[in-house]
Formats: sequence, C-alpha cells, structure tokens
Amino acid sequence: MDIQLKRGLLDVCVLAAIKDEDSYGYKIIKDLKPYVELSESTLYTILKRLEAAEMLTVRSAEHGGRLRKYYHITEAGLHRIEEFCEEWREVMSIYNFVTKEKAQNENE
Amino acid sequence: MKMNKNEFLERLRKGLAGLPEDDLSERLDFYGEMIDDRVEEGLSEEEAILEIGSPEEIAWQIIADYPLGKLVKKKMKPKRSFRAWEIVLLVLGSPVWLPLLAAAVVVALSLYVSVWAIIVSLWAVFASFAGTAFGGLVSGIAFISIGNTLTGAAMIGACLLLSGLSIFTFFGCKAATKGILLLTKKAAIGIKNLIIGKGDM
Repeated sequence: MDIQLKRGLLDVCVLAAIKDEDSYGYKIIKDLKPYVELSESTLYTILKRLEAAEMLTVRSAEHGGRLRKYYHITEAGLHRIEEFCEEWREVMSIYNFVTKEKAQNENE
Repeated sequence: MKMNKNEFLERLRKGLAGLPEDDLSERLDFYGEMIDDRVEEGLSEEEAILEIGSPEEIAWQIIADYPLGKLVKKKMKPKRSFRAWEIVLLVLGSPVWLPLLAAAVVVALSLYVSVWAIIVSLWAVFASFAGTAFGGLVSGIAFISIGNTLTGAAMIGACLLLSGLSIFTFFGCKAATKGILLLTKKAAIGIKNLIIGKGDM
C-alpha cells in the first residue's frame, strides 16, 4: 500500500480508538488488533505525530501504583475523523463505479 | 531468550544510545508501560517481552525511522564545545605558528619561483641562439649584397652553426621544462600528503 495513504489511515485509526473515551497505549493496540496490527514503535511514532499536530493531548495518571499515559482526543482530532469520513465517501463512490465497470466488462 | 523487564529496558537503552536523553527516557517509559499492562492482564514479564519483540530489533527500527536531522544535530554537539577551546588555543598560539606558517609559505613560493626562473632562462638561451642566427642571416646577406663576400660567407656560416645549436637547445629546453613540471607536481603532492596525510589518516 502507498506509504502516505497508509500513514493517513493509521493516524485516523488511532484517533478513532480514543474517540469515545481516553485510552492508553496497550489498549489502543488491542482495540485495533482485529483491523490492523500495530507494533509498539509504530504506535509511538503515530502518537507523537498526532500530539504535535494537536489532535490529541497526553496526561499521566496513577494506575495500580504506577503512572500510565492516557491519550485524549481534541477538537482538531475529531475534525480530522470527520474529514476522513467525507473523503472516503467520495473514494467509496469511485470504488463502486470502478468495480461496476469492471464487472460489466467481465460479463460481456 | 528469556529476560525480565529491567534487562529488556537496559538492552533497549543500549541500542538507542545516541538519541537525545529526554526522547530516550520517554521511549523507555512507553515500553515499560507496555510490559506492565501485559503483566496486569496475567502474562509474566518474559511472556510480555516475547510479544513485544527483541530490544535490538526494536532499537534498529526506531533508529531507521528517526529523522536524520535530529540524529546529526545530536552527534555534532560534543564536538562543537571541543572546537570552542580549540579556537582559543589557536589564537593564543598564533605568535608561534603564524611566523612559522608565513616562513613555510615564503619558502615554498621562492622554490616555485626559482624553478620557473630556470625554465625561463633555458628558453632565453634558445631565443638568443635563434635570434642571433636570424640576425646573422640578414646581415650576412647584406654584406654579400654590398660586395663584402668573405665577411658575408663567414656570417652565414656562423648563423648556420647557431641555428643548429638553437634546434638542439629547443629540444633540450622542451625536455627540461617537462621534467621540471613533473618534479614540481610530485613535490606539490608530497607536500599535500605531508599536511593532510594519505587517505586513512
């Protein structure tokens, strides 16, 4: 897959994983596992990138006698998800058009 | 390959040596948390680490993804502070090394000039031979034309001798120039190697 496309997809996946409630590293990896395999180092890079883009914020909170980092989505992050959905509605309609054409060609 | 959390983090730290300190500790915290969260789910530290992967491979991946600019900046830093006192030393030592350097430059320059002077003087000998030969020919013809055949013949004889000599010196000069140029080139390379050193130094 195109690297730029994949990067954009992974960013939105991580944003979606923290959309409904704040989450932490290991939980994000577990939640995304059915859809995409994320290594720890890849997740770290994505989280850093999203933090720099102000699409999420980080806070450390006490958990079971140690500190755990929680990631919280911002307005900009939510906006990015909206943007993604609109873009992909278009992409999907093009996809449907292309596959329909292909199916017709194969039937002829 | 069984290791506990501390061993894992220590090996990861070794693999990431050279990264900025704040970035390094943040990454180690991140992996530490990843292990702790797996342990909380019921895995042992060893099993958690098996899931995460070998610290050397992880370090290699991180370095490969790391922005080159940041790494280079980090590597240059200790050298910059070293250079600062190097400059101070250079300035303080200037009364010693400046005259020495000037003398070396002057010696090299004078050698160069004298080599070229030899070439110029050789060609001057050739030019004077050729010039006198031509002049002798002209005056010899003039002597003959005014009736002084004997002097004219002697003149032309002398000029033939000189033209022969000039042809001889021409090839001599050419060979000498070539040789000297080659010599100065070798000397220049020698001086360069003396200062900069050959390749691996």
